[in-house]
Amino acid sequence: MERIYFNNCLTSKPAPEVVKITTEYMKNKYYFPENFNAMGTEASDNLERAIKIIADSMGANSKEVHFTSGGTAANNLAIKGYLTANSNKGTHIICSVIDYPDILTNAAFFEKSGFEVTYLQADNEGFIDLVQLKNSIREDTILFMTTLGNHTVGTIQPIKEIREILDNSEHKIAMHVDACEAYARIPINVNELGIDLMSISAHKIHGPQGIGALYQRKGITLGQVQHGVNRMDNLQTGGMNIASIAGFAKAVELAFNNFEENMAKIRKLSDYLLNKIESTIPDTLLNGPRGVKRTPHNINISFDYIEGEAIMMMMDIVGVSISTGSACASQGLKPNYVLMALGRSHEQSHSSMKFTFSRYNTIEEIDYTVEKLAEVVKELRSRSPLYN
Amino acid sequence: MQYSQKVLDHFMKPHNIGKLENPDAEATEGSPACGDQISITLKIDPKTNIIDDIKFQSYGCASNIATGSIITDMAMGKTIDEAKNISWKGAADALDGLPPVKMHCSVLAVDTLKKAIKQYEIEHGLAEKESFSKDTIVEELKKIIYPGVGEDIVTLKMVKYVGFENGVAIIDVDIPKFDKYRDNVAEEIKEHLEAFEEIKEAKVTI
Repeated sequence: MERIYFNNCLTSKPAPEVVKITTEYMKNKYYFPENFNAMGTEASDNLERAIKIIADSMGANSKEVHFTSGGTAANNLAIKGYLTANSNKGTHIICSVIDYPDILTNAAFFEKSGFEVTYLQADNEGFIDLVQLKNSIREDTILFMTTLGNHTVGTIQPIKEIREILDNSEHKIAMHVDACEAYARIPINVNELGIDLMSISAHKIHGPQGIGALYQRKGITLGQVQHGVNRMDNLQTGGMNIASIAGFAKAVELAFNNFEENMAKIRKLSDYLLNKIESTIPDTLLNGPRGVKRTPHNINISFDYIEGEAIMMMMDIVGVSISTGSACASQGLKPNYVLMALGRSHEQSHSSMKFTFSRYNTIEEIDYTVEKLAEVVKELRSRSPLYN
Repeated sequence: MQYSQKVLDHFMKPHNIGKLENPDAEATEGSPACGDQISITLKIDPKTNIIDDIKFQSYGCASNIATGSIITDMAMGKTIDEAKNISWKGAADALDGLPPVKMHCSVLAVDTLKKAIKQYEIEHGLAEKESFSKDTIVEELKKIIYPGVGEDIVTLKMVKYVGFENGVAIIDVDIPKFDKYRDNVAEEIKEHLEAFEEIKEAKVTI
């Protein structure tokens, strides 16, 4: 049997159409849009088409989209670029304790360089504290950052409400969102939501690895982060990843051509899994909100009395890839910080399992997974001193 | 490094799982908060001091379960003196090795077995309760594994100073500033030492 893959939030399988077009570009269309010769002109046309597909998908203008080497590079360009170019207006920034590491590590970096950071708390479903946000805004606040769809529990932050709060201030506060999880999974229109900077990543939506993009609203100034030869503009220096850009655009096209259908399918898979787990396995706890307030592809659930790495390993042996928030499976041997910030206990964090779906998953895969999961949970509980 | 086939075998089909009724010795170490806990129960023949039966229960990861399985195999049928000599390195070797970041599982399993035996010896007049001293602290620090290498922090010469006065233990450890296990090691030292009733507070400086 083919391996069942529920780690789409880590990275997702490139779509066959993406592999095809990327290969074709690597073979025959590798040229840079450098000059007006035949190859250069063709490359330039293709690049413009790719940018337009991505810009259209979020309601942006092509000039507002920059390619980066991935989501993390886009987050760095947004945060470092904005703060270095605007520090004369203020040195206070706001994010939350449950943000993606890209935001938190950049915040910590700027804190060391003299900026002040307010880390908002989140409630037990992962929504950031908007009252605290209102009270944290100061005259020198210049940037608010958030993770649009939380990478651990899928919570969708209320961006419109946040924008209104930021706009109530007497000065401009820019909003940067890390949308790597939410993009192509929930509708995002940067103008309707009032987003100023937004990072997205191709490999989480069946595109190639090593390519992402940053949306930069017209009028938002970014300082240069990587100096070097200027091929596109001074924010995208160096050589271009032409083949991956083509693959990225194809992945976006595929996701948005049948957007509602794809999302309804994925939402159905998530609901089906959650329902089936809750009706067959006792003593479980959903992490994050229920229903439409979470990204459709994410289910995060804790299993009492047992530890997540053991669940993960046993499921791996029967051919199912899922991930865990357990300290035992983490790089620094720490329980998942998002779950801890949501008020979960160490045990609930250690026993949390994350399933992230894609349009390639099926109901049959979930039937098999829950059947095996029920056996694994029963077996591990029978070995646990906490259960007996 | 990946798990060896032997680790996976013991994880999937562990030996000696369960809890003995009316055990002659028992111990539980670790905590659910830390992500691993192991309970061991033993039946010991009072005439020969041979371990007639041994069982374990585990809340923990694959290597926690595998080390529980291997050390109970190693101790079964041995005298308590022989069982006391099982080392965490020996247990890891018997599993064809463990990833460095998982070595602490072996330490926990072996420590639990030794605690159970020690308790039995004290109850049966075979040993006396050891008096607490600075050496006790050093011995305890030898149970703390630096996950980057899979060796204990004393052997690795990471412990620069050990002090004990008026119930306060002062430990100075040398770990580079950006080491990802820095906080983890410091927390573990505190947890280990503050479990002693003689220690009111453990101060760890890095």
